[in-house]
Order: sequence, then structure tokens, then C-alpha cells
Amino acid sequence: MIKTPSDMKSYKERIRKALTDPFLRSALDKFNTQYRENRPRIYAGVDFEGIRDEIAAAKDDALPALMDLYESFKKHAEASGAKVHLVRDAEEANRTISEIARENGVKKIAKSKSMTAEEIFLNDHLIEAGYEVIETDLGEWIIQLRHEGPSHMVMPAIHLSRYQVGDLFGKVTGKKQDSENIDKLVKVARERLRPAFLTAGMGISGANFALADSGALGMVTNEGNMRLVTTLPSVHVALVGIEKLVPNLKSALRILKVLPRNATGQAITSYVTWIKGANESLSSFSHRKILHIVFLDNGRLAMAKDPIFSEALRCIRCGACANVCPIYSKVGEHRYGHVYIGAIGLILTLFYHGKESDRVIVQNCLNCQACKSVCPVDIDLPYLIKKTYRLVLDQENRKPVKNLLLSRILKNRKLFHFLLRRAYLAQKPFAAGDTVIRHLPHFFEKAHGFRSLPVIAKTPFRDRWKRIAPKAEASGKTVALFAGCAVDFIYPEQGESLFEILQKQNVGLEFPLDQTCCGLPAMMAAEEETSKELARQNIEAFADVKAEHILTLCASCASHLKHNYPKILGDSPEVKAFTDKIIDFSSYMINILKVIPEQFLPSGKKVAYHAPCHLCRGLGVHREPRELITVCGASYVPSKDEDVCCGFGGSYSVDFPEISSEILKKKLDNVEASGAEILVTDCPGCVLQLRGGMDKRGRGIEVKHLAELCAQSLKSSAT
Amino acid sequence: MTPSPMIQLMKEKAEAVQAVVFQIGDFKEAVTYTIDLTKRQNGRNIAAGGLSKDQEDALREACAQAHLTLLPFPLRPHANKIHTSLTLADWGIAETGTLVIDSTKEDIRIATMLAEIHVAVLPASRIKPDAEALEREIDGILKKDAPAYLAFITGASRTADIERVLAIGVHGPKELHILITG
Repeated sequence: MIKTPSDMKSYKERIRKALTDPFLRSALDKFNTQYRENRPRIYAGVDFEGIRDEIAAAKDDALPALMDLYESFKKHAEASGAKVHLVRDAEEANRTISEIARENGVKKIAKSKSMTAEEIFLNDHLIEAGYEVIETDLGEWIIQLRHEGPSHMVMPAIHLSRYQVGDLFGKVTGKKQDSENIDKLVKVARERLRPAFLTAGMGISGANFALADSGALGMVTNEGNMRLVTTLPSVHVALVGIEKLVPNLKSALRILKVLPRNATGQAITSYVTWIKGANESLSSFSHRKILHIVFLDNGRLAMAKDPIFSEALRCIRCGACANVCPIYSKVGEHRYGHVYIGAIGLILTLFYHGKESDRVIVQNCLNCQACKSVCPVDIDLPYLIKKTYRLVLDQENRKPVKNLLLSRILKNRKLFHFLLRRAYLAQKPFAAGDTVIRHLPHFFEKAHGFRSLPVIAKTPFRDRWKRIAPKAEASGKTVALFAGCAVDFIYPEQGESLFEILQKQNVGLEFPLDQTCCGLPAMMAAEEETSKELARQNIEAFADVKAEHILTLCASCASHLKHNYPKILGDSPEVKAFTDKIIDFSSYMINILKVIPEQFLPSGKKVAYHAPCHLCRGLGVHREPRELITVCGASYVPSKDEDVCCGFGGSYSVDFPEISSEILKKKLDNVEASGAEILVTDCPGCVLQLRGGMDKRGRGIEVKHLAELCAQSLKSSAT
Repeated sequence: MTPSPMIQLMKEKAEAVQAVVFQIGDFKEAVTYTIDLTKRQNGRNIAAGGLSKDQEDALREACAQAHLTLLPFPLRPHANKIHTSLTLADWGIAETGTLVIDSTKEDIRIATMLAEIHVAVLPASRIKPDAEALEREIDGILKKDAPAYLAFITGASRTADIERVLAIGVHGPKELHILITG
């Protein structure tokens, strides 16, 4: 049985162990990189976004009608000789399947891969009931022999090296195996498992689709074991999550276009098998297969009715959310999920396995949006993870101190800003007159020392604004600045750079002083009421501002304002008027002001770029920042994995410094390898992380906000 | 003869997943191909699946001449020792190089799943551009109130479960040969 820590201390111990496992680290890192690199090739000629939207819409239509689909499926399947069951929970599922085995005098059971069977710990139950259960999928067989759970939904043994498998097979066969020869290791499984198929009395499989209008099951596989499991024994039990019901073949074929591509990078798997009813089977007395289809509810039917979480039931189990996750690629294996692994696992665990198994792992999300961007059914995974965390807190009826503070302080802007000003004084002894704190006060753990921290500015942007504001002269265009806390209180010079640029371009700037924190930190901590209150305050603060655009220098604020406000406040005209105006810095420069190279003094400096998660994935802005680097006279040098998270994630870097620093390390290594003199990005949060890490390295690569780079080389428009 | 773009695509996509693809004239050539392949690999027997009476007779005769055993039906008792299977494919899907085989008969299932080497004959006229173009035909099979077992087969069986290294021939056939006729 899988055990997932329910306290942070033991979870962190497991994380530290994973971070020092060289095989795991390099295997998962390589996997993450290769998966992302191969993706464009795999999807060449396929309209991923179009199909994704169609599948999501079709799933959303089907979910409220699951029971109708079930009735239709049952009618057709039973008319062709199958027996269809609907079971309420894991206990009933296990009992039903064990009963089917008993009725048919089964002793040995051959299983093909099924995440649903893992969900209910079916093997444990059947073995306890006295049956011999043999997993026949190669990866599943390996982990069964090792008494482990799957470490990935599609590749259950991805955490093991060929040497570990070789040693294991050596023990199983009593013969030393050549671990270098993976082909031969695979043949060991072929030979050892063949008798299992031929002698088992019952086969158990999962299914990827259940077609309501025909009563057929669809299964997507590669090894060929599922075909044997469903053919050779006289009894076949298919265990299927009830959300796998789709109206018809058309819906299934549409999913089939993305499932193998997303899961394993194949256009289609070796086998796609459609099974209906009691097929011919000479192994059974009646010469007809005994087919039982067991649909598992286990909370799904209630979830299908939930206005927020029903989205999670769209999942088709491709596993891609783990493949691209920067955290999974560092700690991987069973440390990023319980039974279900990856972003979707952090959500489903609460529903299928309870809060004890989810309460700690659900906090391990950077909100970097990588999972969301590859999800083939468009689940807003980062958002649902925060919603899940909130449910955990509600179920436990407790609020961490962080939440109590956030709620008390953030809702009251004046108090919040007063405290930030006080913080400037408090940090003075550690800053030693510098702009960064290199040696953290001793009450921080050692793990936090991977980056220098910036000091809170003596004069925040809002105070500087009072001095500069009246001087702005508008000539037609006006833009309003949403500064966000980081620009306002940590990096006011970034705001001043923007001001300088706009002045030179004769663009008016507005800065409504009632604006406050965007609310993302509150949402990250599942402090929903606070994030809602902040959203309301900000919309009010900008309501009377006459400006065509609301510009932010912070990608995280921008993405939160634009995409989460409608989710938090509802899609009213007032909210829409606000969100429609949100624009990021480089899009404004390139698409609105249409700046050209002639307006800049070229520096020729080699500049690398870090794409903030919430800019490239959150707002879908890719071209503009890179173009702006070139337009403003610098020489853009590409570096590897520009669009991979820097590991900041707001308070994530404080909660999980061990992981944050590992992600940052890889990022900075890539930047150094590019030969850049300057690293720019367009989010003050990323600046904080990257500059802090670069400062510790001391190799002289400057980290700047793109606005600072532009302001330096922009000529005055008067000339 | 230059093959049509659809046949060309079918061939290209199937070869991309390690299938061996040849265009041949008629079924007799398929028999010769299968016998040669089996003998070259020191195989002793051939199993047929879904052939017509005439096709089966032709195969039986050729096997006898080549001193190979044509396994008798039902195949189940021989399930563990089939070397080569020769079956007919109902359709081809060019976009992915996929064979569609109605495997409702148990003998076809055993022949296509348990043979070491699977040879399938696919008439060129039955190649469709994509799976969607077969929706009506597949629905025709699945929507009857009768049992059905329909297989899409693309290349040989494969896994990447050990260190994500591709290995061919796990539980299913180790080789897939597609002979396109007509």
C-alpha cells in the first residue's frame, strides 16, 4: 500500500532524498526536456488547441448526463452478453470483483494496466482474498515485484534504472541478467509472463472509453498484454471509472487524436482495441467469454455535479501534467502524488483517497502553468490545485498562520502598506547599506540561503509618483499602471523606468493610489475571501481612470488580473471592462507604441531572456519581449529552456526552498551557457529570484527588468 | 507503377513504426512471402486467420511443399507455439499506418496476438485517409447487438517501460509485415 506523508517534515525528508538520487534526477530531467522538445514535432499538422477545446466542451456536455450514458451503455452491452455493474466505492468494487472471481472458480488472475485498479488497491484486496494476481504490463510487473506503486500514470517504473530492473529480473529468473541489454530484459518479461496469460482463469483490464451508443469499450495500449488478458482467460473484468463514458465512437476517436500524442509522443499506440459483449472464447464452458464491466463511482458522480471540480473529470490520464512539471522533474516518482501522479494527482487524491494523503503534497505547486498549457482537455490544473488546498483546509477546519496574517493584513491596504514601510526599517541591520541581503538572519533555515534577497525600498513607487506625476504630458495616449507590490515596494526603479519611457514617447501615465496587492499570493495560499476582496478593491480603484490600457510590469499580476478575476468575481461588464484593458509591458511597446530600432541607441550587449510563466503561458505572449530586446538595440542570445519556470512562485520559494533552488540552478546554468552579459525578464518576482541567484554566483551577469533595459537606450522623442 | 499518395502515406507511416511494408500483386505472392519469411527465420509453422476457403487451400498446399505445418483450427491449443500468422486486414488507415482487423473470431485474435511474426494482407482499395473516414464501418460492427472484438494494429508490440528506451516485441508479435495487394 502506498503511504504518502501527511506532515510536512517527513515529506521534506523524502524530497531531500529524491534530490540527492543521481539516477532519478538525470532520468526525470532528461524526460522533461525531451518531452517538451519533441512536442512540436509530434503535433505537427494537428490543431492541438482546436481539438482540445472540442474535447473539453464534449466532456462538459457528457458529465451532467453520465447516468443517462451509463443506462444506454448497459442496455447495449448486456444485449450482447456482458454484465454491467455500477459500484459506489472502492470497497464495493473490490468485493464485486472478488465475488466474480469466486463464482467462476478462478485461482489465478492476469492483469493489464489500470489506474482505476490502482486507485482502489484492487491487487492488495484480491491477494488478501487468496487469489494469485499477476501484473502483465512490463512496468506494472516490475513495480509489483518490488511492492511499489506506479511513479507515473503512463510509465509506472520510470523511477527505476536498467540496473535495478536487471538485478530484479536476475532474482526472479535465478539467472544473472545483462542490464545493458534492455531488449533482452524486455524478452524476460515476454517469456516469464506468457504462461500467466495461458493459465489465468480471469483477466482484469481498465478501459479508456466506454461508448454509450454501442456498449463497446475502447482500450489504448502498446505492449499487447491487454489483448491477451482480454482474450485468453475465460472471464474478463473491465474496471472503468464512470467518467470514461462517452456518447459515441466519434467522441472517442477525437480523444484518440491527442491521448497517445500527449502520453508517449506517438500518433497512435500499437493497439487500439474495441471490445463489446461476450465474444467467442473456447476457454469457457459455454464457448462465450464471461465479461463483467464494473463502473466505479468513488465520488465521481458527485464531482460531476460540482461547478468547479467537475473539470477534473475531463482527465484522460495521459500523464503529461507530470511530464512538463518542473517540480516532478526534480523530486518525481511517488513524491509528486499519491496513487495518481502529477498535477491532476494533487487534485484527485483528496477526492479518491482523502485529505490525509493530500494535505501536504497539494501545497507543492509553483503555479507555473506548465501543466495547464499541455493538458489535452484544458483543465485549469493550477487553479484547481489551489481550490483543492482550500477544501483540505476547510475539511480540517484550520487556518495556517500564514492565512490568518494574509487575511488580516492584505484586506486592509493601508495597514499592509504601513507594514511594508516598517519592514524597510526592520531589514536595515541585515542589508548593510546594500540593495540586497546576502546573509539571512539566523532564524531562517539554511535552505533559504540559495539567493540574496532584495531590501524593501526606502521610498516606494507610490511616494515617488506623488513627486513626478504632475509633470507627465499626454499627447493622445494614456496608460494606467498597475504596479503590484513588488514594483511598488521593492523595485520602484522599474516603475520609474516605465515612466521615463512613456515620457519620452509622450504617453500619459495614471497611477491610481487606491490600488493594492493583486491578490495572487492570497489565492496561492487558498485564502479565497481575501483574494476576492482584493480583486474588488482593485477594480474599484481603476473604475474612474481614463486610460486605454492598464499596464503591468509584473506578469503574474497581469495574468491573475486578466484570467482569475472573472473566475473570482464573475464575468460582469464591470470586470470585463477592467480585464480587457490589461496589457504587459512588451506587448504595449511593440503592438501599441510600435517602437522601432531608430528610437534607441544600440548597446550591442548580449542579452538573454527568461520568459515568466505568467507571461508566456498565462498571457500567451512569446514574440514581443524577444523582439523588444532586439528593437532596443541589444543583441538577443537565446538560451535553453527560456520558458521554464525560475522556481520563484511567490511564497513557494519560501515554503520549498530546496526545490526552488534546484530549479533556479538549472535556469542560471542555461543562462551562463548562453554567453549573455545581461539577463532580462518582465516580472519583478522573476527578477527577485534570478538576481538573488546570480548575485550568489558572483559572475557578473546583470539581471534586469526589460523596462530598465529599454529606458536606458531609448532616445528622447523630442530629438 | 507509382503508388497512389494514400498507399504511399500508409507505407511511410507504417514503416515509421517499424512495420515492414511491401506492395505485391495478388494473394499468391503473399503466400510465397510468408513461407519464405518463416523458413528464413527457421519457423516451423504458420497459422491462418480470416482467410477465404480458396486462400486457405493455397496456403495449405504451399506449406506442404515447404515442409511447414499449417496449424489446424481451433488455434487455442497451439497458442503458445505459433511462429508466423497470415491474416487479412479489413481496412488500413493511412494517416497513422494502422491496420483495422475485425477480430471477433477467436482464431483471428489468437493468430494476431500470439504469433512471433504477423503478416497481414491489405487490399489497396481498403485504405482510408484517417480513422474518421471509417466511422460508419466501425459503428456498423460495434452497434449490432452482438459481441465484437475490433483491433487497430499499428506496428509491432512495443514498450518504453525501462528507462524510456524503445523495445519492440513485448507481449505481442515481434514483427509486423504488411502486404498491400491490388
